[in-house]
Amino acid sequence: MDLTDKEYVERCRDGHQEDFRVLVDRYQKPLFAYLAGRLRDGRQVEEAAQESFVRAFLSLKKLRKPESFYSWLLGIAGRVAKEQLRSLKHRQQDCEVTESIMANVADSREDYPLEEAIAALSETYRQVILLRYYEGLSCQEIATRLDLPLGTVTKTLSRAYTLLRQELAARESAEPTVNQTELP
Amino acid sequence: MNCAECRENLVACVEGLLDREESLQCQAHLETCAACRTEHAAITRLQRQLVARGQATAEVSLVEPVMRRVHREQFKPERETIMSTILKHRWGFGLGATASAAAIILIALLSTPKIQAAAVEVMTKGAQAVAKLTTIHLRGQLRTEPQDNFSYINPDSGFYTIELWKQFEPELKWRIEKPGRVAAMDGQSTVMLIKTANLAVKVPKPTKSAFDTDWLHKIANLSNTITNELKNAIAKGWKLNLAEERAADGRTKKVVTIEAKSGLPDNDYLKNSFFDNADTRRVYAFNDQTELLESVKIYIHAASGDKLIFELDQIDYNQPIDPAVFQLKLPANVSWFQNEMQMLPDNEKYASMTAEQATRAYFEALGRQDWTEAEKFRRSMVDDQTKQIVGGLEVVSIGTAFTSKNYPGQFVPYEIKLKNGDVIKHNLALKKDGKTGRWWDDGGGF
Repeated sequence: MDLTDKEYVERCRDGHQEDFRVLVDRYQKPLFAYLAGRLRDGRQVEEAAQESFVRAFLSLKKLRKPESFYSWLLGIAGRVAKEQLRSLKHRQQDCEVTESIMANVADSREDYPLEEAIAALSETYRQVILLRYYEGLSCQEIATRLDLPLGTVTKTLSRAYTLLRQELAARESAEPTVNQTELP
Repeated sequence: MNCAECRENLVACVEGLLDREESLQCQAHLETCAACRTEHAAITRLQRQLVARGQATAEVSLVEPVMRRVHREQFKPERETIMSTILKHRWGFGLGATASAAAIILIALLSTPKIQAAAVEVMTKGAQAVAKLTTIHLRGQLRTEPQDNFSYINPDSGFYTIELWKQFEPELKWRIEKPGRVAAMDGQSTVMLIKTANLAVKVPKPTKSAFDTDWLHKIANLSNTITNELKNAIAKGWKLNLAEERAADGRTKKVVTIEAKSGLPDNDYLKNSFFDNADTRRVYAFNDQTELLESVKIYIHAASGDKLIFELDQIDYNQPIDPAVFQLKLPANVSWFQNEMQMLPDNEKYASMTAEQATRAYFEALGRQDWTEAEKFRRSMVDDQTKQIVGGLEVVSIGTAFTSKNYPGQFVPYEIKLKNGDVIKHNLALKKDGKTGRWWDDGGGF
């Protein structure tokens, strides 16, 4: 069974820096979707996503709540996106994204609070949402991956929907923000 | 089904997880209850958003680029301290290639970050684990051309198997083989056969390494590899990294990564064409329990990104090797490479040629099938297969010669048209023979 975000963060801090790979793998897609909602160009999105992960890695020791890694990561990404929008000259290194991905993401660009709402979920619910929709696993596959009964997965997913909708409703009347309390 | 039961099952309904009877009950309730229909519509809308997000980002793959940047950021050069400067100089003057592993560890611990020191320790233990090798057998895959030099690498080529057998005791013997070439040292002499050209080259003495096989011998001689890698890492500022990996069977590996720099400028012709001319990332994986080296991966830093060019996936330690492996069986009609070029009656005519003139004269001789003339620019006979290909060729153009920092000769760009209509544009590598002063074809031709 996979370790939690908190455990991976702590392992990275202890020198197992290759474990950061798991966190990148776990959050690269929602982070990309989140940034695609803020930036127009595919290269900018990929660069911002890479930059966000790298800054997060270099600042891991400053993260006070390791269990909030994803929320904290989105905060970093929000600031990186703002910097990019301010900058006329964008670095374009190691970018391999295709425009086709961007075209698809752009279709749902206005929905970026969704990623913030997902970040606000506790890890149990967030994990099921990410596996179901960003990794494309069926509920049965999630049950197998997490070694849980199918009914538990279904109930968790159902509860995650409720919490997501509450979170989105709360954000409708507020400026879209993410956890800004822990600056990298 | 009442409203409470319906709402409890709505997500399962949207996800298609209800059985047929439950689904029908849910649908029946939705048809009669506007409030639950609204709830159902909201959940469906959210699900569509989530599905769209997942589909849109299905091809996103940031792990490798991020980890490359993480590695780069993590090992940005530190400010040089007085101590590290002193140690660097002491290394250069006080410690030679015979420095003990213990001394290396000491220096590395003092002059590199904690992780680099841990990487050094892992490699040193790996060296100690194989300190008493009697034999080693390596088998891997290399991006190369089958008939080309043993150290030739090409990121655009496919993978070809390359294999080494080496006996350290009681007497050094070795054999290295790839599909188009094989070289063997039987304790008396060293012979290479270029299978495609049916050409054999003999060094009439035992060698530790020959015919561009040094890079693979270095890997096989692991203790020396460590000494050299660490010496280079410290002297040249190469970066060492250490990570842990867990295999599918639960075993853990210690993975040491070394960022090696060739020192060649990016615009050098031979940059990234041979191992010693390439900027590479070398990844050594050690078994955590036995401390033995289990695998090696070498990535080349190309403009398009890092690319795996060599993967060593089989290492057999101290297994008996059949003595026949070290005896090379040559075809009866094999032609031999001349170790010495002979003076010609009109040698000065050829010795005074520029590299461009020699290239033109050589190709024109091949074109008119004057093999005797052509062989004045070669150290081997023109074999029958080559004669069939090059006879009748026409020289389209000869360019201006250029050099590479790591090659003691010149490269001459050429364009020729073969009698079958094929046009070949490439660079002929020419070396000048020390005794006769004549240019000879060292590759890139036929």
